[in-house]
Amino acid sequence: MDRVIRIICVGNRYSGDDNAGPLVHDQLAGMPLPAGVELVDGGLAGLNLLRFVDGAERVVFIDSVTYIQPGVVVLAGQDIAALKPSDYDHAGGLSYLLGVLPEVCDGQVPEVLIVGVAGDVDQEKLAAAAHTSIALAVEGAAGVRDCVPCDSPGGQV
Amino acid sequence: MSTTPTIAAPVTHTATTTLNIPLNRVEGDLQIRVEVRDGHVTDAWSSGTMYRGIENVLRGRGALDGLVITPRVCGICNTAHLMAAAKALDALGQVTPPPDAIRVRNLTLMSEHIQSDVRQAILMFMADFANPAYRELPLYEEAVARYAPLKGRSVIEAIRHTKHMLEIVAILGGQWPHSSYMVPGGIASAPCLEDLQQCRHLLRGYRVWYERQILGCTLDRWHAVRSLADLDAWLDECDTHRNSDLGFFIRFAQLIGLDSVGRGHANFLSFGQLDLPAETDVRGFGDDTARLVPAGFARGTQVTEFDQANVAEHIAHSWFEGYEGGKHPFHGVTRPYASGGEGQKYTWAKAPRYDGLPAETGPLAEFVIARHPLFTSMVESDGPNAFARELVRLVRPAALIKPMERWLNEVTPDGTFYTRPKRIEQGQACGLTSATRGALGHWVRIADGKIEQYQIITPTAWNGSPRDSDDVRGPWEEALVGTPVKDPDNPVEVGHVVRSFDPCLVCTVHSIRGPNRHTARIL
Repeated sequence: MDRVIRIICVGNRYSGDDNAGPLVHDQLAGMPLPAGVELVDGGLAGLNLLRFVDGAERVVFIDSVTYIQPGVVVLAGQDIAALKPSDYDHAGGLSYLLGVLPEVCDGQVPEVLIVGVAGDVDQEKLAAAAHTSIALAVEGAAGVRDCVPCDSPGGQV
Repeated sequence: MSTTPTIAAPVTHTATTTLNIPLNRVEGDLQIRVEVRDGHVTDAWSSGTMYRGIENVLRGRGALDGLVITPRVCGICNTAHLMAAAKALDALGQVTPPPDAIRVRNLTLMSEHIQSDVRQAILMFMADFANPAYRELPLYEEAVARYAPLKGRSVIEAIRHTKHMLEIVAILGGQWPHSSYMVPGGIASAPCLEDLQQCRHLLRGYRVWYERQILGCTLDRWHAVRSLADLDAWLDECDTHRNSDLGFFIRFAQLIGLDSVGRGHANFLSFGQLDLPAETDVRGFGDDTARLVPAGFARGTQVTEFDQANVAEHIAHSWFEGYEGGKHPFHGVTRPYASGGEGQKYTWAKAPRYDGLPAETGPLAEFVIARHPLFTSMVESDGPNAFARELVRLVRPAALIKPMERWLNEVTPDGTFYTRPKRIEQGQACGLTSATRGALGHWVRIADGKIEQYQIITPTAWNGSPRDSDDVRGPWEEALVGTPVKDPDNPVEVGHVVRSFDPCLVCTVHSIRGPNRHTARIL
C-alpha cells in the first residue's frame, strides 16, 4: 500500500503574525486534493504532530515565516537541515520536531518540505501557498525547482 | 534526602546586580528579572509578555461556544480547558453526566497529564542537568548522554513513547489537540469496543515503558515508598532503581542540593479533579469520596476546605485596568492597559489569590492536600522546594495509570454517555478542574443564551503571578528569593526554581531561527 502524503498547516489563527498556516488550511479544505494527499490542521501541536509524520511518504508543512521580503518561500533539503532547532517547550514547536525527527520517527523518515508565508497575509499569498503546497505534495522536492534555497531571489514563489 | 549543596557555592558580589532572563523551554513567553546581591537572589519579578484576551473573545457568543474556543487557550492543556468549560455548562444545565461519560472525560485528561509530566521532567527540567555549569560533577557526562536537547537517549525515548499517549484522547475525543467532544451532560460520541481495546493497548505499552525506564520498578514497588527513609532505601535497593531516570534524578538532585532552593510561600491550592463516577473501584487520593484528586487549600501541610468564593484576582501590577484590590472571577474585568503604571505594572498575568494569599498549585500541591505521606513529610521537614516539586511530577503518572486502567475496564461500550441538560439561557457557574500544571477554573455567566462574562484562571496565573495589591510576591517570585546564583551569565539555579513549577504561559508563538545564511524564521 502506498504511504500517505500529508499537508500539515501549523500556526495560531488568533495571532496575526502566525496565522498563515490555519488560513491556508481553510483554503485547502475547500479545494479538491490529489488522491493520496491528506490535509491536517496542525495548529500549535508542535512535537505532537509527530504521529502525522510517522508512516508518511512526504510531509509538506505550511507556516508563517519571517523573511527578507514578503512572499511565499519554500524550504527543502539542506535548508531545513540547517534550521537551528529551538529549545523544547510544552508545544515542542515545529523546529524541535524537525530536529528530532530522524531519531523518533517510526519507520522510514518521510521527505519534508516547508511552505512559508512571509509578511502580511493576503489572499494572493494564501492562494499561492495553497497551490504550492499541492504541487510539492504531488511532486516532492522535484517540484521545488525555482524555490530553494530560501535566501536566493529565486526562492520567491 | 541528604545533600551536598553545590548549588549554594556562590561567588561573592558586593553590589546588587539585576538580571533579565528570558526563560526558554517554557510555554509562551516568560521573562524573569532578579536582583542578585552577594551571590543570592534578593528580589524577583515574573513577566508574562503575551496578552491572551480569550475572555473578551467569548463575550457575546453562544452559551456553548466555550467548548470550542477555550481549548484553544493552550495547545497542550486543551483537554483541561474543555473539561473546565464542560463542567461549568454541566452546572448551568443542571445535569450530572452519566458515570461512563465521566470515566471517558477523566481518561482523556489523565492521558494529557501522564504524557506532559514525563516530557516536562525529561525534556524541560532535566535538560538543565546537562548545563555546562555542572561539567565538574561526576554525573555530568551521564546527564549529557541522557538529557542533552534533541539527542539525549532519555529524551529520544521519552518522545518515542509519550507520543502515543495522546492517541487515547484522539480515539475517545475524536481529535487532539483542541477536541470539543465533551458537552454539557456528557460526551458527544460513545466509544466502541475496539476503541477501548486500542486505548488499553496504548496504556499498557506506556506503563511497561514507564516502569522500565522512568521508575526502574513496578508501580506497586514505587507505591511502597511512603517516607523519606523509604525513598533512601528504594534508591539503594538495586542498580535498576539508581539507573532509572527517577533514580538518576534523585542522585543528581542530591549532588546539586536541589532541595535547598525554591521554597516559596508554602501555600498550596487544588481545585480537585477527576470526579469519581458512581459504582467505581477507584478510590480517591486521601480517601476523597468525590474526586480522585481532592480539592483544598493548605498552609504548609495544614489543609482546609476549598471554597471557590475565596478566589480573587488582583491587577495592581498587571497590564490591566478597571479596579483596585481583588475581584472574584464572576465579577472580573479583563481590560488591557499596557501604558501607564510605569515601573509598577510588569506582566500580562493577573495575580490570583485565595483568601487573600498567594498559593502554588500543581502536582505537589495536590499530593500535599491529598496528604500523601512522602510528600507531606518532605514539606513538613524542609518546606516546598524544587526537588519535591519535580519529584512528584516525575512519579505522578504512577498514581494515575492504575485508575486509568480500572476506568478503561469499567466503561461499557453499550453504556450511557449523555444526559440531556436543561436549556442554558441564564445563570452563572464555574467549572473547576486541574490542568497538568495545576488548578484551572472557568467562571461563566450566561444571559439570554449568550456569554455575558467569562473569566479563566490558569495554573500559571497562580504560580507565575506578579505581586498583588498588597505588594506580596507571586509564588515563584517568592520561591526565587534566596536562590544562589553562582554565575550571573549562566543562572541555571534560577531556571531550576522556575521550571520546578512547570511554567506554561499562553500559547502564542513558536519559532525557528534560521542559520547564518538564512533569514527565515518560522513564527
